Amino acid sequence: MSFPIKGFLETSFVDWPGKVASVIFLSHCNFRCPYCHNYDLVLHPDQLPTIPFEQVIQQIKKYKGWVDGVCITGGEPTLFPALVQLIEQLRNEHMLIKLDTNGSRPEVLKKLIDNHLVEHVAMDVKAPLNQESYSNCCGVSVDLEKIKGSIDLLRKTFISYEFRVTAVPTLLKKENLLMLANELKGSEKLTLQNFNPEHPLDPGLKNIKPYTDQEIEEMQEEMNQILKGSNKSEGSAFFYSKPATRNL
Amino acid sequence: MGSLSEYRESDVKRRILPDETTDMALFVRTSDEDMSFWNRQRIVDALVKEACVDMAMVEEISKEVQEQIIASKISVITSPLIRELVNARLIEKGLEKARKMHTRLGVPLYDVDQFILHPNKENANVPHGPEATNLTLAENIKKEYALLSVFSQSIGDAHMRGDIHLHDLGFIDRPYCSGQSLEYIKKFGLNLPNALSIAKPAKHPEVLLAHMVKFAAALQSNFAGAIGWDAVNLFFAPYLVDLSDREIKQLAQMLIFEFSQQAVARGGQAIFSDINLYWEVPKHFEDVPAIGPGGKFTGKNYEDYASEAQKFVWALFEIYKEGDGTGRPFFFPKPLVHITEKFFKTDGHEEFLNHICDVAADKGNTYFVFDRGGTAKISECCRLSFKLEDQDLADAKQPWKMRYSALQNVTLNLPRLGYVSDKDDSVLFSKISDLMELAVQAHIEKKLFIEKLLAHGDKSPLSLLTMKKDGVPYLRMHRVTYLIGMLGLNELVHIHTGEELHESKKALKFGLKVISQMDLLSKKLSKKYDMRFVLEQTPAESTAYRFARLDLKYHSPQSGHYVKGDISRGETYYTNSTYFAVSSEMNPIDRVIKEGLFHPRIEAGSLTHVWLGEAKPSKESLANFVIKTFRESLNDQIAFSPEFTNCLSCGKTSRGLKDDCPCCGAKEVEGITRITGYFTKISSWNKGKKGELRDRYRNQGFFGNK
Repeated sequence: MSFPIKGFLETSFVDWPGKVASVIFLSHCNFRCPYCHNYDLVLHPDQLPTIPFEQVIQQIKKYKGWVDGVCITGGEPTLFPALVQLIEQLRNEHMLIKLDTNGSRPEVLKKLIDNHLVEHVAMDVKAPLNQESYSNCCGVSVDLEKIKGSIDLLRKTFISYEFRVTAVPTLLKKENLLMLANELKGSEKLTLQNFNPEHPLDPGLKNIKPYTDQEIEEMQEEMNQILKGSNKSEGSAFFYSKPATRNL
Repeated sequence: MGSLSEYRESDVKRRILPDETTDMALFVRTSDEDMSFWNRQRIVDALVKEACVDMAMVEEISKEVQEQIIASKISVITSPLIRELVNARLIEKGLEKARKMHTRLGVPLYDVDQFILHPNKENANVPHGPEATNLTLAENIKKEYALLSVFSQSIGDAHMRGDIHLHDLGFIDRPYCSGQSLEYIKKFGLNLPNALSIAKPAKHPEVLLAHMVKFAAALQSNFAGAIGWDAVNLFFAPYLVDLSDREIKQLAQMLIFEFSQQAVARGGQAIFSDINLYWEVPKHFEDVPAIGPGGKFTGKNYEDYASEAQKFVWALFEIYKEGDGTGRPFFFPKPLVHITEKFFKTDGHEEFLNHICDVAADKGNTYFVFDRGGTAKISECCRLSFKLEDQDLADAKQPWKMRYSALQNVTLNLPRLGYVSDKDDSVLFSKISDLMELAVQAHIEKKLFIEKLLAHGDKSPLSLLTMKKDGVPYLRMHRVTYLIGMLGLNELVHIHTGEELHESKKALKFGLKVISQMDLLSKKLSKKYDMRFVLEQTPAESTAYRFARLDLKYHSPQSGHYVKGDISRGETYYTNSTYFAVSSEMNPIDRVIKEGLFHPRIEAGSLTHVWLGEAKPSKESLANFVIKTFRESLNDQIAFSPEFTNCLSCGKTSRGLKDDCPCCGAKEVEGITRITGYFTKISSWNKGKKGELRDRYRNQGFFGNK
C-alpha cells in the first residue's frame, strides 16, 4: 500500500515530550490556518515527492531500541482513509503512536482510540469555541460541533492527550486565550505555542511581530491556573462529562 | 639560561677602550636597566661560562665582534645585539653546540606590542588584559626554553614541523592537570608550603568552600590545565546536616559564582574547573567513614549522607538553570554527572535526570559521564578521565589519598601520516608506531625535567607538589599518566580510504583499526618503559588549526583537498580527535553510537558533542535519550551544546547566534557556545575554531520545533 508520506524525520526530541519519536508528515488538510507553516503539504501536496513507506520502515528499524514511537502529523492525518493500515504497519515494528489532529473528524479519532491504535493525541484548538473566532483562525467555515466532539472525546478517554493553541497576536489576544482556557477548564494540558512569522500560509502575517517569550510564558501560566480551576472564573461552558484522568 | 648581566660593567677601571676608538665612547644598554661602557671581557666571560668555548677561540671571537662594532661607529648598543653578533661568529666557526647554549630567549619589540594591544587567541579562556599579557610573554619564553633545553632536538623539531604537538609548552615547568578530593583539605586544612598563613580544617561549609577555591587557585599555579574535584556534593554533605534548603541553595550559588568569577588569578584566566557529581552515593564511598566539620570523623559513613548530598546537587543545578546575572550559562565550574547502574536504582533518579536534562536543554552545562558495569571514574578537563583501578579503589577507603595527574599531553598529527603513507596499510601502521615512540620519548624527557624540579624538595619551584601531609608527596610521580592524543582521524581515513568516517562502514572500520592499534601500542609501550601511556581525545583547541595550517604549508597541494574549513579565509582546521566531520548531517543517535565505538579504546576519556544550535528539545525526551545512550551504546560521555546571543546593550541573553539582539535590536552582541569542551565567547576563538563553528551541523531538525 502506498501512503502519501511527504516528510519523515527519523528522530525528534520535541514532538513527543518524554519520548524519542520519529515523525511522519501526511499531506492534505481541510483547514487553511493563515499561520500554517507546513502549507506546502496543504496547498500543493502533489508537487512534493512521496517517501516510500519501505524507506520509512527501514529507518525505524535502524533505530530500534532508541525510537519509542511515531508521531503522525500533517496536514491533517484523520482525512487519510488508510490511516488505520498505516498505524497497523507501524505497530508491527512495536511503535507507540502519537497523533496530531485538528479535531475535525471525531469519528476517526474515536475509532483509533477504541481500537487502541494510539497512545497520545495532540489536538490543535484554534480559538475560543465560537463560530466566528474559530472560522477566522482556521481559514474555513468549520463545523464547531465536531471540534467540540473531539474535545469531549479526548477528555473522556484514558489515553494521554494535550490541547495546543498557536497565538498570532492579531488573531488571538490575551482575553481570547484565557477564554479558551476557561472553555477547556479541567483538561489535562493546554499548551500555548508561539507563532513563527518566517513562512506563513498568509504572507500578510510575515510582518506580524510574535509575542515575546516572556509574554507567552506569562499567558501560559495564567492559562494553567484557569485549567486547574484554581482561579475564580466561571466553569466550563459546555462539558457535561468529567475529564478523564491520565493513565499511561 | 645565559645571564645577560654578564655584559654589565661593574668595574669601570677594568674597562678596555680600544685604541682605535679614541674619540668614540661606546655605551652598552644592558638588560639590567643600566648603561655601561664597552667591555670586551663580558663576551669572554659569557662564552666561557655558558657555552664552554676554549680560551683561544673566545679571545678571537670577542675581538672580531669588537672590531665589527667599532667599525659600525654606533654610540649605543644593546647587550642582546652583542649576543647575537657573537652567535653569528659561533655559526661561522661551526660551533653549533656552543651557539645553542649561548642562545638568548626573548621576544621582538613588534610582538610585545601586539601582545599588549591584542587578545591572545590560543586559548579562549584567557581574557585580554595586563595579566594575560604577562602570561603570554612568559609562556613564549618558556616555550622557547622547552624546545631548546628540555626536549631533545629531534622532539623539538617534530613539534615545530607539526608531526606532533607538545601541549602547554609555555607551562613546561608544571605537570598537565590534576584531579583531587575535597577530603585532603577537609582533613589537613589549608596548610600549603610557603603560605603566609595556615588554616586548620574548616568547621563551616562556607569556609570549606573558601579553602576549596583557594586550593584550586594554588593548584592552578602548579598545573598547566584543568583542576577537577571528585564527588563534590557528597564530600560537602557532612557539613550540610540541618541546613535549610535556602541555605543549601545559597552555598550552591556561592560555589558556582566563586569558580566562574575567579578570573583574577593566573594570567586573568578562570580556573578550568570541573566538579564531579553523583545522585547516588558511589559504591566505593558507601562504607567510607565520613569527615565532617573540624576535619573530624563524624562516626557515620558516607552512605548516611545521601540526602544532604542530593539536596546539594539539586541546588547546584537550580543555579545552573538560572544562569548568571544576565541569564547566560556559567562557563565554569563544569558539572560532570556520573550515570551508573546504581544511579538507576536510587530513589528520585527520574526527577533528577529530568532536572539536569532541563539544564542541558536550556543552558547546556550538564556533562553526562557514563560509568557502566563496575567502572568508576573521575573526570576533568575537556573530557579527560581517570579510571579507578584496584589501587585507587583501595585509596578510596581513605579518600584524602585520591589524586590523579597527567604529566603531559602529546598529540599526533594523523592526517600527515596519511599524506606520506601513500594508501599503503603497512607503511601507515609502521609510521604510527614510529610517531608513538616519538611521543613516548617526549614524555620521558618531560618526566626527567619535572623530576629534576621536584628533587629540590621544599625548595623546589613545585614545592606545593612535594608536600607530604599524608606521608607521600602530593604529586605521586610513580602514578601519573602520560597522555597520547590524536587529531584528525577523520581526515587520515579520508586520505587513506577515500571516504570520511561517516561515509561508509569500511571507512569507520578502518578508523577503528587505527585507534585499536594505537591503544595496543600504548599498552606495549607502557610495559616497556614502566610508565602509564594512555590515549586521550585531545581537546585540540588550537592544535586542530595549527596542524591544518602546517600541512597546507608542507603537504600542499594534497592537503588542500582534505583540510576542513575555508582556506580563503584562513579558517582551516582538522576534525578533532576521533570525531566525525562536524558538518556531516548525522542523526544524533548515529553520532552517539558511532563516535561511541571509539570510546572504549580511548582510556583517558572521550566525549560526544550534540550541537543544538537554536533548538530547545524537551527535557523528558533528552532524559530518555541519555538513558538509551547509557544502555544501548558504548559512548563514554555526552554533552548538549546550545548557542546564545548576549546583548551588550540591553544585557539580555537569547537563544541562537544572531547578528543583532532579538530583544532590543542592538548590533553590539556577543555569541556564546561551547568550544572544544567548555562554554566561552566566540569573539575569543582562533580562526580554525571559527571555521569549525561555521561548519557545525546543528541537529535543529531533530531538536527544534517543526
